[in-house]
Amino acid sequence: MNLNQILIESKNKINSANTSAELENIRIELLGRSGLINQLFSEIRKAENPHKYGQQLNKLKKEVEILIANKSTNLPKIDNCKLKIVNSFSLPKVGHLHPITQTERQLNEVFKKLGFSFYDGPEIESDEYCFQRLNVPPSHPAREMQDTIYIKEPELLLRTQGSSIEARLLSQEKPPFKVAFPSRVYRNEKVNKSNHFIFHHYQGVVVDKNITLKDLFGTINLLFKTLYGPNVIIRFRNKYYPEVEPGVGPDMQCFNCQGQGCAICKGAGWIEMGGAGIIHPKVLKMAGIDPHLWRGFAFGLGLDRWVMAKYNIKDIRTLLGGNLAYKPNHL
Amino acid sequence: MKIIYSEIKKWLPDLKDDAKSVRDNLTQIGHFVSGFEEIDSEIVLDLEIRSNRADCLSYYGIARELATFYNLDLQIPEIKSFQFSESSIPITINSPDVYRIQATKISNLKNSPSPSWLIKFLKLHDINSINTLVDLTNYVMLQWGIPCHAFDLKKSSELIWENNQNYSEFTSLDGSKIKLSPKNLLITDSQKVLSLSFIGSENSSIDLNTTDSILEMAIYNPSRVRSDSRSLKTITEASIRLDKELDTQTIPLAFSHLLSLLITHCGAIISSQLLDIYPKVPSKITIEFDPSSPASYAGINIPTDFSLDVLKHLGCSIIKNLKSSLLISPPSLRKDLNLSEDLIEEVIRFYGYYKIPIDTPVDSQTLPDITPPILYLIENLKDQLLALGYDEIRSWPLVKTPLDKNAIFTQNSINSDYPVLRQSLIQSLKTQLDQYRRFKLPAPQFFEIGKIYFQKNGQYLEQNALAIYHYDSQKLESDLNLVAPVKGRYPKGRGVDSNFTEIILDDLPKPKKYLPTFSDSKAIELTSQIITLDANLNLDSPRDPLDLIKEYSTKINPKILWSIEIIDVYKNRYTFRVSYYNCDDKTAKKIHLSTFNLL
Ligand SMILES: [Zn+2]
Repeated sequence: MNLNQILIESKNKINSANTSAELENIRIELLGRSGLINQLFSEIRKAENPHKYGQQLNKLKKEVEILIANKSTNLPKIDNCKLKIVNSFSLPKVGHLHPITQTERQLNEVFKKLGFSFYDGPEIESDEYCFQRLNVPPSHPAREMQDTIYIKEPELLLRTQGSSIEARLLSQEKPPFKVAFPSRVYRNEKVNKSNHFIFHHYQGVVVDKNITLKDLFGTINLLFKTLYGPNVIIRFRNKYYPEVEPGVGPDMQCFNCQGQGCAICKGAGWIEMGGAGIIHPKVLKMAGIDPHLWRGFAFGLGLDRWVMAKYNIKDIRTLLGGNLAYKPNHL
Repeated sequence: MKIIYSEIKKWLPDLKDDAKSVRDNLTQIGHFVSGFEEIDSEIVLDLEIRSNRADCLSYYGIARELATFYNLDLQIPEIKSFQFSESSIPITINSPDVYRIQATKISNLKNSPSPSWLIKFLKLHDINSINTLVDLTNYVMLQWGIPCHAFDLKKSSELIWENNQNYSEFTSLDGSKIKLSPKNLLITDSQKVLSLSFIGSENSSIDLNTTDSILEMAIYNPSRVRSDSRSLKTITEASIRLDKELDTQTIPLAFSHLLSLLITHCGAIISSQLLDIYPKVPSKITIEFDPSSPASYAGINIPTDFSLDVLKHLGCSIIKNLKSSLLISPPSLRKDLNLSEDLIEEVIRFYGYYKIPIDTPVDSQTLPDITPPILYLIENLKDQLLALGYDEIRSWPLVKTPLDKNAIFTQNSINSDYPVLRQSLIQSLKTQLDQYRRFKLPAPQFFEIGKIYFQKNGQYLEQNALAIYHYDSQKLESDLNLVAPVKGRYPKGRGVDSNFTEIILDDLPKPKKYLPTFSDSKAIELTSQIITLDANLNLDSPRDPLDLIKEYSTKINPKILWSIEIIDVYKNRYTFRVSYYNCDDKTAKKIHLSTFNLL
């Protein structure tokens, strides 16, 4: 039965009530705890699109409530107190996703269309997966002690980069694969208006035959066009990361000065957007993937700064708990 | 690394590009120029040098890069020819951390305050001038990337390189005292410490009266220098170079340049042998390289001639022609070139990343789905809760206090008030509720899906959990029934009541595939309390309450309207409840009264 039909039938029923008591029975039948509408709510999980379905149900519920309320004002009021329950009205309450989740979903959408899977890994991570398998051996300068929050030094830590998921992925799955993964990562930094110990990364890994920089550049360009609009200008330059070779740094032309140089881009005209490259053959080898047969690319970007700009959030502490809130109705 | 544009032109006399183009091209080939400014009518570029390119912490290294990029010849600074004597120098090497050292004695010095060109050069590199001899050692370090040091022979008659066994303290040139640890690499005269590997001391320093000096240029075990520099909490221009892999084969060139300068500017006479101790000769690296491979990696045509030209210009030599590939030996300066992929990167970065098209993403053919089903469950739950009117929050995974003995603690977090990984999301949700209460947020209902952490049998574990808060505890229970077929847990604790619930997601049945659609919505950074006010509206005839809500909501500026509802209807009297934000009490009241004609 579709929801429109239910509304029509409910309307007929409500109109047929002759006394407040009859109307109350109909109310219980429709709106009661085990009433028809709550039953529909319980099936929300099975719906094709629960979000949309839920919204429609909420609308239906409100409409039924109004029908009953209007009817009740026209009936002789013998037992008015019983009807108190339907005497308040509001627009349907709408829930909201956190801005980081919204952004992750926006990016997931891009990669869903490109046939990607999604992935996750542990936040309490070993030194091996967070560093060594990404071609960062123990003596490497890239792992400055003060940046890592340790659980049990030196082998257990809170992951400092989403690439640890890449290391897990490479050792757990058989190529070819295309995978994207948002992640929460940790750095040992004091929390204030512009610093936090939590960061959010969004990364992607593709391992297949004959993967090229052209595939990588096209994918990143599509990603940034989705985030920043079709007119955004992206450039790619050589950059060093231990886990890739060749390494790539994508930059976005500064939205504030159009490349002329300003305070936001520190005079450079460009804003650094993350890192990428062809996966280092040592990284593949350590994961048991033969670099002579397979080649892959990896990219990653930090979400926090972008989310703050997009949602006009000035204080990074707002992003995680605190005073972030949403209007309860569509007004 | 800062470079002065006019100085780099001395290395590349045929360089025609202006400073801005040089900046852009350096950035393009991997040396990001983060600063570009004119100081004292010189243009200074500030380069971020990648950590595996210690060779580029010098004019020599950067000039070699530009020479390859522009296909220009490199002009090596003028080096005089000079003669060493037979006389020995009092140097003893007792440490395995010395990879190569060249040293000699100079006499007849006429040291003086530095000439203005030298003072200016160093100032542009943020180095203070001391005197000509010392300044020239710094000048040579910036030109060649290898630190060197001069000792006053009057103050120390012999020099011994050793790993610390006996010394407890060292006073550096600026007078600061540094506590020494065992194994620190020291230069001593068997009585006192004269120098660390990367910073000198008053004990042997050169002054204007110095006439005889031992000059040395050395490269050490970089791990030793890094660990010394870090444990002694001292970073110098020398340490940032010596803690990376430097080229021992550049020493002869750089050291002769230094001697030439001292002869010219200080009237020095060489008065001993040239000591060259070289225990760590690097082994020659050979790399098999297929000249067509750069094209296959880039995804565009790159002529093999171009590949070979680049490698030759970089100083690579072809050892042997194999069937379809070449055996290449990289120059010793380039410690980062070890694999064929490293050579491929060289070719592509000089060919230009900008020549690779950016309009073709990776093939969109579908591969087998390897998404862990828990991720589908999480997305599905989020959508269900959204439909029920819940807002998602994301809170701190670190909390103040453990729930029980299975908690996991961080060892070194500098946010020491929050040392514990949360064992329940409710710990974080409660903090969120406190915050919402502070802002008087009406009717809060929110959830979080995230990780919780605990120890079990010596293992460090994490689970996916969902926690919900609803201001109406009955509604909370019925909503939880709707979204998940399990009972929620209601952890006990101060301020935690039946308005909170939590479930573990890992064991729940999971959907096969669930890909949500994206929809955007606004978030608000609350900066002041929300103000909630009621108003009665008496009408002549009954109205649809929802129509009334819509009508009155348009009368209030959306920038300050948080929510509007009708909380009671009696006959034709409608009681409104309106919440305002982004404004003070007084403003809210004024707007409220005028909106409902109560003035
Ligand atoms: Zn700008």
